[in-house]
Amino acid sequence: MPKWLRYALLCIFWWGVFGFLSKIGSTKASPIQMQILFTIGMLPLVAAALLRRKIDRDRVGAAYGVLIGVLAGLGGIGYFAAMQAGKASLVGPVTSLFPLLTVLLAVGILKERMNRIQLAGVVLGLISIAVLSV
Amino acid sequence: MPAWILYSGVVIVFWGVVGLFQKLGTNRISAHSLVVWLTVGYIVLVPILLARTGMSGLGRMTILIGVLGGFTNGLGAWYLFASLEAGAKASIAVPLTALNPLLTIILALGFLGERLTLVQWVGVAAALIAGAMISYETGA
Repeated sequence: MPKWLRYALLCIFWWGVFGFLSKIGSTKASPIQMQILFTIGMLPLVAAALLRRKIDRDRVGAAYGVLIGVLAGLGGIGYFAAMQAGKASLVGPVTSLFPLLTVLLAVGILKERMNRIQLAGVVLGLISIAVLSV
Repeated sequence: MPAWILYSGVVIVFWGVVGLFQKLGTNRISAHSLVVWLTVGYIVLVPILLARTGMSGLGRMTILIGVLGGFTNGLGAWYLFASLEAGAKASIAVPLTALNPLLTIILALGFLGERLTLVQWVGVAAALIAGAMISYETGA
């Protein structure tokens, strides 16, 4: 198995486990509490990154990063709220449709172009949300 | 409309915008650096969140699970970057990793006893396939 594929499968594994742990944790802790605990869990990895790699200090890039963290954190609270309210087997796949909005924003704001597969994916994603909303 | 889907809509809005900023941010700094700065953003939120909630009354097991949640999520991102650095084509690796909720589904069915209706199965399958298709960036 090529190295990149093994890493990609490990990514799937850990993110899949993350969804599962989010569901279990959210049955006991509030979404806000979960987000705080989640942040603590990120710290060892950041420490490892700080020790092993040079961190770029481009001001604009760093500002984007911090802003991304704030927005991702607020989204995280929504994620734990969804996990608390619904089944992990539904919340997991639906929330992972967030790139749907990203590609639409990229087309609208960055003037990027969607390929046909992405366009079909957006349509299919919207249909799936409609089906699961019933 | 069920509450979980409304919350999921909020998630899609926030993380969808995050994806856009990520496109802008990684033009300037490496993916690893972005994770470090992003965590600074998470940390900035913590005092604001702590003003709204206490942390007492949480069992040890719950605390462990919440912290492990953050750790496993970070680890997943780490391996995605490692995969790309090991020569993965982004147009293949990113759609592949978009299938990660499959494992969440398997674990939730196996360990939490979740069951889906036929209609929900159709919706879930469509969402998973759609997620992979949307991540298929062929580059401009």
